[in-house]
Amino acid sequence: MIQMLGKRLIEFFLFIFLLSLISFAGIKLAPGDAVRQLLRVDDVALTNEQVEIQREIMGLNEPIIVQYGEWLSKFIRLDLGTSYMTHRPVIEEIWTRMPATLLLSCTSIVVLMGVAVPLGACSALYPKKWIDQVSRVLAIMGASIPSFWLGLLLIEGFSVRWSVFPSMGDGTLMHLVLPSLTLGLTMAAVYVRLIRSSLLNSLSQDFILGARSRGIGRKRIFWLHACRHSLTPVVTMFGISVGSLLGGSVVVETIFAYPGLGKFIVEAIHNRDYPMIQGYILFMGAIIMLLHVVTDVTVGYVNPEIRLKEGGH
Amino acid sequence: MVCMLLTVVLLAACSSPQEGSTQATQQPKKELTFLFNFASQTVDPSLDYTPLRAGVVETLVKLDENVKIQPWLATQWSSKDGQNWEFQIRDGVTFQNGKKLTAETVKQSLERSIELNPGVKQVLRIKSMEASGQTLHVVTEESFPQFPSELVHPNTAILDTEAADPDKKPIGTGPFQVESFTAGTSLKLTRYDAYWSGAAKLDRVVFAFNEDANARLSAILSGDADIVYRPPVESMDKMKQDNQLKLDSVVSLRTHELIFNTKKPLFQHTNLRKAFDALVNREELKDAIMGGQATVAQGPFLPDFPFVPEYPTRKTGAEEALKWFKEAGYQVENGKVTQNGKPLTLKLVTYASRAEFPIFSQALQSEAQQLGITLQIEQVENYEDYLMTDTTWDLGMYSPLIAPRGDASYFLNVSFLPDGTLNFGKINDELLNKLIYQLDQTVDTAKRNELISQALTRIHEQTYYSYLVHPNTLVVYNARVKNWVTGKSEYYMLTNQLDVEAK
Repeated sequence: MIQMLGKRLIEFFLFIFLLSLISFAGIKLAPGDAVRQLLRVDDVALTNEQVEIQREIMGLNEPIIVQYGEWLSKFIRLDLGTSYMTHRPVIEEIWTRMPATLLLSCTSIVVLMGVAVPLGACSALYPKKWIDQVSRVLAIMGASIPSFWLGLLLIEGFSVRWSVFPSMGDGTLMHLVLPSLTLGLTMAAVYVRLIRSSLLNSLSQDFILGARSRGIGRKRIFWLHACRHSLTPVVTMFGISVGSLLGGSVVVETIFAYPGLGKFIVEAIHNRDYPMIQGYILFMGAIIMLLHVVTDVTVGYVNPEIRLKEGGH
Repeated sequence: MVCMLLTVVLLAACSSPQEGSTQATQQPKKELTFLFNFASQTVDPSLDYTPLRAGVVETLVKLDENVKIQPWLATQWSSKDGQNWEFQIRDGVTFQNGKKLTAETVKQSLERSIELNPGVKQVLRIKSMEASGQTLHVVTEESFPQFPSELVHPNTAILDTEAADPDKKPIGTGPFQVESFTAGTSLKLTRYDAYWSGAAKLDRVVFAFNEDANARLSAILSGDADIVYRPPVESMDKMKQDNQLKLDSVVSLRTHELIFNTKKPLFQHTNLRKAFDALVNREELKDAIMGGQATVAQGPFLPDFPFVPEYPTRKTGAEEALKWFKEAGYQVENGKVTQNGKPLTLKLVTYASRAEFPIFSQALQSEAQQLGITLQIEQVENYEDYLMTDTTWDLGMYSPLIAPRGDASYFLNVSFLPDGTLNFGKINDELLNKLIYQLDQTVDTAKRNELISQALTRIHEQTYYSYLVHPNTLVVYNARVKNWVTGKSEYYMLTNQLDVEAK
């Protein structure tokens, strides 16, 4: 156990180091000028020489490797720097926005599960029946409707016409309904088909036939054997989905003026806020790495076959 | 169960009249939601414009509706040499925590902004400051006649530097004080009763942000917002049909322009620049592409600025363009232009964040095509950097802020001096440079206006840019909103005069 944990830790640090190196180089090599943004050259009378002086003050004229070295030495001391946009520590900016993002992610997952699990299960239990046809149509619709359009449709219906939910902002549970529906419904479309095919695959396995021949009841077979077996691809996919939800759903956050991380980072990219972008990449990298570990452990738990293949822990 | 429900209904019915009578004795709170199109991540006035727009903080001087500077927190100012300045700070003004506004607090605030924001440092170019009672003495690094105009800049707004959390809860002198701020979403404000110019008529305001134009339209239609900045122009008819809504369209301080890359030998020729200028159909751009929400531009500045010269009437169209192509030494046969027997192919660059520019570019491409000229349109990211560093482009579209603080020297300096940060066309005209340097040293207003007028005449004669249209700022608001003013400067939005009728 300690060996596995040590291996994971080494993997984690190596991953973070490589990610920091690649992302730093990528950000610096991308076109765009932080100094021009910072000085607001479009409304301040400046010369290009003055812009250059500011660039030197900020150390942006140094070779990339020197800049990276300086950044790394601060990072080792757990200092991610200060945002150019807000002049607040990067870590504080991320923590401030994280609760809103987490809350929206959770409510979106509730919508996702609330729609995808019953629809996917019913489709698998009654293939080619009307419920399967309905779920197929809904899944295709959900997958093909862009989230921004679904968001605007929901606003048009629930805010403009019926005045049930607020069209934007945050602060109450009511504010979460439309963005959660937008995110949850678009993601649910994929899961409905995944759950259906995975369940159908499980139901056709030999061990299910064996269970039936032993006289085990249909419900028991479905819930205890087929469901558990079919969870592997769903859990794997779920890990990826949670990562992308936490990464921020920019379009949804923009339409509903929701104070999440995604929109903030897009603005940071637009403003060439290098410390903010770099800090965010590492933070998300660490979270996604953690999610992978959790996903692996969960998959191992629900599927003993995989657990045994990977060393029988 | 039924009994319980009946009890609840009965209790509710009994309590209703009492609540109603209590409410009837109270004046309903006047509240308003204002929806802006750019999100703020901080409300530190030294870094962000929102606190000024939201009436939380104020600057020493402000722009009036004619884009002229007027006293605000400073009642008067004077300088004999353009370098040593004396400002009288308004007496009887308090910050929203009750602290008195003095020259010392103004000095501390300006020092903070200079330290925090390198752009402000460049804007103000202050060498030293000295405070004495309500008088602030300022010495600029060099003669700087437009210094009072620069104090219009929203990032020079005055705040109490000793108050905690200026980035979340700045304490200013404006009619509204910050209740709470959620980055990227909204700034909640309440009235500051002791506001020096009379307490605001509104009790509470939400200054919200939403970058999506369609979502902003939905917000006004659903009643989630009372005033919406820049709703989608394509929904004009829908908004006009709603008798609960009012539309306001005011010409802005921006000018859409066509840039010529004068580093290219081709565009060093004045007549060739004039030929492309003649090809632009400004009326079509204004009416067909911008839905009438613009004014045809004669030059960079709006005609109501005192220094704008009388421009000669400009002839446009294919005939006029062909005339200039001929003058520039190009061959014109059957209405087609060639150079040494070869057709012209040029690169026109533009960017997507101004939705009309790609369509403007296509309109110009179509006009040029009729003369046998191929314009290859390229949409570019990081546009300003590209224009500055790339050498391959021939023509470009841009929309500079022409007089953000009412004075012309900003625009002339950045757009025409060889080292100007917005001199994308690489213009280097000795006569023009001399006029701008002279302007930067001149204190007398009449003399300044004369110099600006001469510079603008020179720019027009040489056609360094082709000025297309001045775009309008569109605002839609609920009919219950009173005293809303759409300003040209886009600096002052929530005022103590803004009011609403009860819902």
